[in-house]
Amino acid sequence: MSLTADLKEMLTEQLHYRELLFEMTRRDLLIRYKQTIMGFGWAVFMPLVNTAVFSVIFTRVAPIGTEVPYPLFAYCGLLTWNFTASSLRAAVSSLTSNAGLVTKIYFPREIFPFSAMLVGLVDLAVGSSVLVALMAWYRVPPSKFIVLLPVVVCVHAMFTGAVALFVAMANLFYRDVKYIFEVVITLWMFATSVLYPVRMLGGKLGTVLRLNPMTAIIDAYRDVIFGRHAPDWTSLGAAAALSAVALLWAWIAFHRSEFEFAERI
Amino acid sequence: MAEPVIAFDGVWKKFRRGEHHDSLRDLIPSLAKRLTSRKREQPLDADEFWVLRNVSFEVKPGQAMGIIGPNGAGKSTALKVLTRILKPTRGQIRVRGRVGALIELAAGFHPDLTGRENIFLQGAIMGMRRDAIRRRFDEIVDFAGIPDFIDTPVKRYSSGMNARLGFAIAAHLDPEVLLIDEVLAVGDFTFQQKCYARLEEFRREGIPIAFVSHNMQAIASLCDQVMLLRPAQDPIVGDVPDVLAEYVASRSAAADPRLNVIASSLRDGRSGRMVAGPITPGTPLDLDLDLVATGEMPRAGLLIQIVRSDGLIVFTGMSTLDGGREIDLRASDQLNARIAFVANVLRGTYIINIQLVDSMRQWPAAAVNSIQSFVVNETTRIAGCAELSPTYDLAVRSAAAESHATVKIR
Repeated sequence: MSLTADLKEMLTEQLHYRELLFEMTRRDLLIRYKQTIMGFGWAVFMPLVNTAVFSVIFTRVAPIGTEVPYPLFAYCGLLTWNFTASSLRAAVSSLTSNAGLVTKIYFPREIFPFSAMLVGLVDLAVGSSVLVALMAWYRVPPSKFIVLLPVVVCVHAMFTGAVALFVAMANLFYRDVKYIFEVVITLWMFATSVLYPVRMLGGKLGTVLRLNPMTAIIDAYRDVIFGRHAPDWTSLGAAAALSAVALLWAWIAFHRSEFEFAERI
Repeated sequence: MAEPVIAFDGVWKKFRRGEHHDSLRDLIPSLAKRLTSRKREQPLDADEFWVLRNVSFEVKPGQAMGIIGPNGAGKSTALKVLTRILKPTRGQIRVRGRVGALIELAAGFHPDLTGRENIFLQGAIMGMRRDAIRRRFDEIVDFAGIPDFIDTPVKRYSSGMNARLGFAIAAHLDPEVLLIDEVLAVGDFTFQQKCYARLEEFRREGIPIAFVSHNMQAIASLCDQVMLLRPAQDPIVGDVPDVLAEYVASRSAAADPRLNVIASSLRDGRSGRMVAGPITPGTPLDLDLDLVATGEMPRAGLLIQIVRSDGLIVFTGMSTLDGGREIDLRASDQLNARIAFVANVLRGTYIINIQLVDSMRQWPAAAVNSIQSFVVNETTRIAGCAELSPTYDLAVRSAAAESHATVKIR
């Protein structure tokens, strides 16, 4: 099939099944809300605990210099990183854990990784209320570039979506992916400027780490939310271009192998 | 003539036998294999087999196509190809319109969500719009018969309630094409009747149906055409009685080594002609058999059993119990037998099994299943399996006047 026909089919299907996407997202949120006492509290609890731990390490044990108070720096990094990490964690097994649906009922399978992402997005929104509170507490004013926040979220979502589609599909064909993923996601966090500014690093290591699109995205979040200077346009632009291409590639690859899912799951 | 809504044109589907490895370890060999054997689609690998072979059929608006066959013949695969879950290896499929699939009705249910929440979830999975679900919500709950439990998590439901809710949602879909896979075996008798009534309604609305079932009675009452899928053979498509008879006959068990059937025939007892098409209830039938015993069978009786295609044993009779004498068979003796009986049975496909029974021990000495079959076609009885030829004597005694009328109906 031609590329344009594929693209057209992908988009019309998503449009036709958009209610299912929201319904699946609702399902996952409802279940968490019902099964746990804290409900949405978990969306802020984990980044807060990590913020506390790393604040002790990086302010008392091995202090590092950041433009804003370290807890604010770390919480912003952890909250936004958490969107990627939790979306991908849910996406990686989203197809295999819904095997009953995949083998029995037809609808676009992208719904599974996409709804995993929407759940992550809701958590991001819930967690950002604490970010606002922290900014008020430390009296850090928002940057004048805050209007660009939707752009950054968009790039972030595109990139996460691309990886989510890829890992969900890969785990269906090769179940090792789930285990490899756990290792990779941990290493990846430390290779991203979540807990320390990668900009601090020089030399070869710094150059390599700056190739990581997640660093560009998380740095851009900090710049547009409470930065004192303009975001790094080059790296954000590169991340945006890469995310768009990756999303397109992953989505088409996913769509084209969809018909094999029921047989291979 | 109307355009077909479902059309299969020479559809083939290949499956693989044996274990399918899913670890990265298998990635390298499979990549290597793909490189060396490029696009060689036609022949089968050693571990592959055709689950669908050359399947072609059409369903036009208002028609219902039954799909039957033994386990593993590819019935569910055919439906999965139809719903685009699987892609055929070869051939073309055309489906016009929104497909409603009554397959795995509760597949999307989440145990922790309430009935209400699951209706919206499952409805969306089946492609219903949210406002459509909201509009028909009360009908769905009513149909399922669980208004008191609608806000209870589905994990607390009995399996019957679960299945009923699943069917109720599916029954309120608004499909243009309907696919049904053996889902009516849910709930109690009343609920099953309700399900069939709903399917009839879909059919009357002119919605084309593809219906997979093992229930031959359901197939016979709902469908206009039947496709018989057979492992390792091309399917047969045709009128319901013909294909059902073919299916039932093909199910005959492996021949008993103790008995060789030289010839068997089933004739109309009045005309003496072979029974080919459907017969009417009350037709006298003659079953003629030429059998050769391969071993000693002393003091044997001949047993005949009539079984309806859904497994109901309609009748069993044995020559010795009906006053016939015992027969002694030695190796290579030939037995010529005629069993005359009256087919006082209603609509359905029936098979005839015979056995030679050791009348001393009441133990089957040899059995031949499905030696013959026949189809009964009648339209006057509403339901049932036996023709009891009732007469009706109704009397109305008017309270106002002393006069009374007697109505006799034969």
